[in-house]
Amino acid sequence: MRTIIAAAGVVAALVASAPFGFAQEQEMPTPPRQAWTFDGPFGSFDRASAQRGFQIYAEVCSQCHSMKLVHYGDMGPSGPGGGLGFTEDQVKAIAAQPLVNGKQVTDGPDEEGNMFQRPARPSDALVAPFDNDKQATALYGAVPPDLSVIVKARAGGLDSIFGTRGPDYVYALLRGYTDPPADFKPSSATANYNEYFPGHQIAMPPPLTADRVTYADGTQATLDQESYDIVNFLAWAAEPNLEARHRTGVAVILFLLALVGVLYAAKRRIWAKVHNAEHAGAD
Amino acid sequence: MAHSGTQNRLVRWVDHRLPVFTFMAHELNEYPTPKNLNYWWNFGSLAGVMLVIMIATGIVLAMQYTPHVTMAFDSVERIMRDVNYGWLLRYIHMNGASFFFIVTYTHLFRGLYYGSYKTPRELLWMLGVVILLLMMATAFMGYVLPWGQMSYWGATVITNLFSAIPIVGDSIVTWLWGGFAVGNPTLNRFFSLHYLLPFVIVGVVMLHLVALHQHGSNNPLGIDRKGPQDSIPFHPYYTIKDMFGLGVFLLFFAAMIFFWPNALGDSQNYVEANPLQTPPEIVPEWYFLPFYAILRSVPDLWFIPAKLAGVLALFGSIGLLFVLPWLDRSRVRSARFRPIYKWCFWLLVLDALALGYVGAHRPEGFYIVLGRVATLYYYFHFLILLPLLGKFERPLPLPISISAAVLASHARPAAASVGKA
Amino acid sequence: MAESAQAKAVAAHGDGTRRDFLVLTAVALGGIGAAAAAWPLISSMNPAKDTLAAGAPVDIDISHLQPGQQLVVLWRSRPIFIVNRTPDELKTLQDPATAGQLRDAASAILQQPDYAKNWHRSIKPELLVLVGICTHLGCIPSFVPTPGGSLGSNWPGGYFCPCHGSRYDLAGRVFAGVPAPFNLPVPPYNFVSDTVVRIGENPAGSTFDLNSVQQL
Repeated sequence: MRTIIAAAGVVAALVASAPFGFAQEQEMPTPPRQAWTFDGPFGSFDRASAQRGFQIYAEVCSQCHSMKLVHYGDMGPSGPGGGLGFTEDQVKAIAAQPLVNGKQVTDGPDEEGNMFQRPARPSDALVAPFDNDKQATALYGAVPPDLSVIVKARAGGLDSIFGTRGPDYVYALLRGYTDPPADFKPSSATANYNEYFPGHQIAMPPPLTADRVTYADGTQATLDQESYDIVNFLAWAAEPNLEARHRTGVAVILFLLALVGVLYAAKRRIWAKVHNAEHAGAD
Repeated sequence: MAHSGTQNRLVRWVDHRLPVFTFMAHELNEYPTPKNLNYWWNFGSLAGVMLVIMIATGIVLAMQYTPHVTMAFDSVERIMRDVNYGWLLRYIHMNGASFFFIVTYTHLFRGLYYGSYKTPRELLWMLGVVILLLMMATAFMGYVLPWGQMSYWGATVITNLFSAIPIVGDSIVTWLWGGFAVGNPTLNRFFSLHYLLPFVIVGVVMLHLVALHQHGSNNPLGIDRKGPQDSIPFHPYYTIKDMFGLGVFLLFFAAMIFFWPNALGDSQNYVEANPLQTPPEIVPEWYFLPFYAILRSVPDLWFIPAKLAGVLALFGSIGLLFVLPWLDRSRVRSARFRPIYKWCFWLLVLDALALGYVGAHRPEGFYIVLGRVATLYYYFHFLILLPLLGKFERPLPLPISISAAVLASHARPAAASVGKA
Repeated sequence: MAESAQAKAVAAHGDGTRRDFLVLTAVALGGIGAAAAAWPLISSMNPAKDTLAAGAPVDIDISHLQPGQQLVVLWRSRPIFIVNRTPDELKTLQDPATAGQLRDAASAILQQPDYAKNWHRSIKPELLVLVGICTHLGCIPSFVPTPGGSLGSNWPGGYFCPCHGSRYDLAGRVFAGVPAPFNLPVPPYNFVSDTVVRIGENPAGSTFDLNSVQQL
């Protein structure tokens, strides 16, 4: 028994020291851990913030970044997790209005056999700024990543217990543009210095500044506020069923606790016969 | 078993033609099981339950998944967002793989500790190793299917291993790929095989159970049942105990699925596969880490290049498990009565954890040293320690029988004594 | 010793009922758990959100549809016939001789919304909208608007199903004596404008559901 406990202690020490965010092994400052409303087993999304975040995506980020896995209708009442709180009519209006990249949906072929452009519908995905990666590279020299699951694809994702998490990383990155330290030797003339980007040289220029957008609900658009809102939107976009998952999880755990209790009592009852016989025999 | 009325007649009608009921009655009700099994004996049934869960979720997921390089990643995200309960099925399947390995490794180490691989259970043990190999192949191919960065690059690294085989290596790799690199043909065939292998596992599990029932379960004391006083019927005693153990297990499983579903995964796999960009780290899932460490530890050995030597060491580490019954010749099964072997067992556990730790890091500096030491120790344990212990270890005296030992453990402390050898 | 054995027997019997209750509760809870666990597996096979969204109403531009022409579009994976009927064809529809050949001339059986329960089975007489699936066994009937011809001298014009020979008139009403039992269904639709028809959405005030018809 003691050896088991000792071994367990060693395991715990090893696990605690092993960085599970295996991908980030360079000497980089760790993005500070933020408190998000969707943290923890009872977390949920700040929908007001996420709606503002969508406004930022629509007016700023969608110039270069696609979100091909998110549909306009997902943000409405028939979307996963009940959407972002927009009504069906609001979703239709949002879809009909182009994002800042100005693109329309390519549809067809029509009766003459030609493809044509049309405004988006709720069943369409958010309209991408580029038709393909080569177009993006030709314009910007690099391919801006799709943002649909970006907060799960960076750092420790959404669920890292010990290390940095995706939302913390994105939040820190957006606010991490500074002047490089005096001794920093850039390997690229065009890259921008960012505290938290691995290697410190990011192709993306600072996307957000104070008052970059004017919020529809009148909230003050500081850099921190904008970063907070876009991350909330991106977190929802990456995991729209998070709240259903948490709700179901609580119910399942409670049910299992009850079931385990009953099963344990049943086991003790059934085994009492065997244990009593053993006790009786021992007298 | 008492039945009443039509059920009795129906039961007898069926049983006369296909003796399922007699079979169930024999295997469950009458089947004698040692009365002293502890909770480490729950893990076999847990593994069986995990196999069923993986197959059930896998079948419905396969209804929604598209095994084409342009659509695979998106189809998985569609499952997560649009398919009813798709997020739940996907997370169960994804974490189920990890829990399947947790349960199986525990089951395996239980066998190592209590000598369950020793005569007459050698084939039972070897069938188990076959199941482990099939699980590893299934898990490897399954991880490729979401077509993320780790899927693609993990597949590239591991399939490239086969090029280490002299002369035919490159042909084998091309044959595995179905092309010049990991691509659509590879993804399609991995999907086909990933669907097939679990059913092969089911077949081998049935053989595993038949082999088990030949001589019955081992027990913590490692001594044979001497008579009916040593055993109890499997039903209801171990059915209820297995149910209870399952409930506890499901609590942990549920906690993981619902609250930390991505904690055991690699965030890089949420980036779609890009054949033109290698991620900064290529790391397999945690259950492959020890083997990955062994693979990378071995340097050039005389005339054998490091790549081939690593592959041989990797497969050798599992090969050793196959021949374990012949490496460890001690006639005492359970580590309870083998004080030195007990220490060696825990050192092996530590070694496996160390190998896992090494596998998670880049092979640089300290990790190379630790990896090599740990790999050497692994081989040392099986090839040198165990045969030597079998010859020279002086075991503690064994109890006369299971019931005697159980009675003795319930007696008052002053009167407690184990039968003298 | 006899006393303690007896005491044990009593205790065992008392244990028996408590243990049955526990086992019963455990089995009941386990059953509920198993059913709850099975439900997501089954529910996942129902249409997913994107499939349902793709079933949203579609707007069709009929400005180029000439009189006598048919346009076929897909809505919810089904062919929808849209026909611009000529005045002659409308006259034939009202002819009692035509009505005599039909099984359900008055559209008594529920195969259409309330706003299409009239002699022309549509909102505007000149525009016909039908679900183009034969009510016999599901083939797609051919559009044969010209009277007479190879279908016989008293063929008024309509639809002919190539699979088993069912016939319908130019309002989708089924002929008597053919394999098909019911009129072709009329889907929910309304006019967004004079030139745009929205298939899949009722006009304001109607709550017709296509799934309520006798035979799709």
